[in-house]
Amino acid sequence: MAESEEEVDVLVQRVVKDITNAFKRNPNIDEIGLILCPEARYNRSPIVLEENKLGVESWCVKFLLPYVHNKLLLYRQRKQWLDREALVDITCTLLLLNPDFTTAWNVRKELLQCGVLNPEKDLYLGKLALTKYPKSPETWIHRRWVLQRLQKQCSSGFGQKEQQAQVEAQGEAERSRQSEQLQRALQEEMKVCTEAAGRYPSNYNAWSHRIWVLQHMAKGNLKILHDELSSTRLWVSMHVSDHSGFHYRQFLLKALLGELGQSWEKLQTGNLHLPPHPPTDSHQIPHTNGEGTAGAVEDPHSAIPQLFHEEMELCTDLIESYPGHETLWCHRRHVFYLWHHWRKHSPAAGAQSLVLTHTAALLNETSDPHEEGRSLQAMDVDCVPDSNKHGGYTQDTKRLKRGPVPPCPGLSSEHVFVSRILSSCRSPEQGRFANAYRKWLDSVIRQ
Amino acid sequence: MGTQIKDVVIKSDAPNTLFLDKHADYIAAYGSKKDDYEYTLSEYLRMSGIYWGLTVMDLMGQLHRMNREEIVDFIKSCQHDCGGISASIGHDPHLLYTLSAVQILTLYDNVKAIDVDKVVDYVRGLQQEDGSFAGDKWGEIDTRFSFCAVATLALLGRLDAVDVEKAVEFVLSCMNFDGGFGCRPGSESHAGQIYCCTGFLSITGQLHQVNADLLGWWLCERQLPSGGLNGRPEKLPDVCYSWWVLAALKIIGRIHWIDKAKLRNFILACQDEETGGFADRPGDMVDPFHTLFGVAGLSLMGDEQIKPVNPVFCMPEDVLQRIGLQPDLLI
Ligand SMILES: [Zn+2]
Repeated sequence: MAESEEEVDVLVQRVVKDITNAFKRNPNIDEIGLILCPEARYNRSPIVLEENKLGVESWCVKFLLPYVHNKLLLYRQRKQWLDREALVDITCTLLLLNPDFTTAWNVRKELLQCGVLNPEKDLYLGKLALTKYPKSPETWIHRRWVLQRLQKQCSSGFGQKEQQAQVEAQGEAERSRQSEQLQRALQEEMKVCTEAAGRYPSNYNAWSHRIWVLQHMAKGNLKILHDELSSTRLWVSMHVSDHSGFHYRQFLLKALLGELGQSWEKLQTGNLHLPPHPPTDSHQIPHTNGEGTAGAVEDPHSAIPQLFHEEMELCTDLIESYPGHETLWCHRRHVFYLWHHWRKHSPAAGAQSLVLTHTAALLNETSDPHEEGRSLQAMDVDCVPDSNKHGGYTQDTKRLKRGPVPPCPGLSSEHVFVSRILSSCRSPEQGRFANAYRKWLDSVIRQ
Repeated sequence: MGTQIKDVVIKSDAPNTLFLDKHADYIAAYGSKKDDYEYTLSEYLRMSGIYWGLTVMDLMGQLHRMNREEIVDFIKSCQHDCGGISASIGHDPHLLYTLSAVQILTLYDNVKAIDVDKVVDYVRGLQQEDGSFAGDKWGEIDTRFSFCAVATLALLGRLDAVDVEKAVEFVLSCMNFDGGFGCRPGSESHAGQIYCCTGFLSITGQLHQVNADLLGWWLCERQLPSGGLNGRPEKLPDVCYSWWVLAALKIIGRIHWIDKAKLRNFILACQDEETGGFADRPGDMVDPFHTLFGVAGLSLMGDEQIKPVNPVFCMPEDVLQRIGLQPDLLI
């Protein structure tokens, strides 16, 4: 077998070329992997392309990795010159074998800066690396850098001030092409995250990346927040131990609370224009369906309780179907906390409880508006004429179509829930988590 | 349907005494296998690897077995013109490895070996307008880097070089409803990030901003029936997370809330009796990273065969006393 330095040289250069050619032959490769194969087979490349899977036979990795590794480091120390094409090939091979090699990603950042690589191609390499190393922190970090760059390019015409006027002259067509490109990148990013989340449970890097994407590429976009909430619903139901996935939903709920609350405030001061969030910042992906942006025209009076009702119901379902999962109980804490906090502090909720007190007094029911879900339902009856008083925003047909706001949880209904679980539970873990939740309600929420 | 709780079972024949000599031999031999394939694979974090190895050797009173001169020379050749330090020669500089290098040189009482002013400039240059720190010139933001920045500066006695108030503001913006911290605002609480953030608040004298009871509660819930600690709900127990959770509990004054005897059992069971070293879990392959955190965890719980470790810097207390550094702890 190839053992002398010269032979290794020849072998490795051939393998690097084989990898490059495989990508040329099949631009749709969607997964990489190692083929366990301790010895070389005569006259056959260790690079195997089957359908859309690219495999490397394991025997060659111990030659391949140190070779490309050292080559890149020699280049970095200016001890050996490599042309751009060689750098692209070498970093590609290196990162598919060792995606946490930060410096190799940095070399690619420089290649992107001087236009040798394009962002989409580079994101594609990262996506492939994540099929084998779904956690790889450096791969996720590099993606964020590329995405930020893509965003800057799209907002300022490749980052050059002189070109900006030109881009503006090109007008709408160019702008919409760029916003489509960003839209595509965002959708692709969500797919990459879902795939990586599926390959490794509670994948912190994948889920915190997904949050980053929302924060940086879809700020304040209600439609995307709603879409994400509905598209992850099934996923979490099938991954009831995945705390990171559930945390993502908590993030979405909190973001929706913020956005819906804001449009409520604007509504109060008469500052709500439709579409609700004109894309003032061109870095953001413009809202695709303007006035139709789901929820934005909704009244938080009903939209927010509806969201929480649905989430708590999902959580109840899962806790009952899959007893003994800490993740589900943690989720319940966070969702209840958000709801509880919103009811206590939000001006929108404040108006609600005002109405509620009024209703309660009329109905001579409970004196504590925060306590019972049922009185919330009663509130809604009163809520429609009440919003008439504010004027200008009374034709909320959506809400009327939805019917009355469902009962939302209060402290006492949560206690009832815990008692019900405890009385019927046969799993000791479930009992432990239910008791811990009760203790949490008593000591953290009651404060 | 009962669900199997995610945990490990400690076998009855698992190690239950501490093999310090074996661990020292393991670490001393580790660096000599330099053409190993694994060694190449981990070169991108070499500087931290050296810090792990040296720190655990110092905690075991065996630092003299390491090649001081070679290591100091190596660090010197990893400092770049910008002042930052890289994981190894030819790699790019980064805050993570800058901290590791400064920690190593502090163990050796030799920070003068590098250009300290330039290190300070490098760290200062990475602070952003919102107070956060980028890990390197490419701009990734993470609360881990906030910790690296202030820990590096505190070891160099130059904390005044950055806007501490703003830095604190950013870290606090990453606090969650459960009292924990994530990598960025809105991110999930994670034991490693919590260690960094409580360590950061300790160094900057802001621990009163932590909700110690709430955070302590979350941290204690990381202890599993095996005694080991995990880093997030429904993850497996791990020696390194055991350290991060334990150190954070120590920093916020709640270490007595967990079952130390059971945790000690778990950590001891992660030793490899034959090769020396600790693994993440009983029966897995050992490595220097988990070896440090296994030994440091035992030290934090008062094992007298090991030098006392500082929970914030993960360095021997006597080293920090020598440079007059006493980060705050809650009681
Ligand atoms: Zn670990």
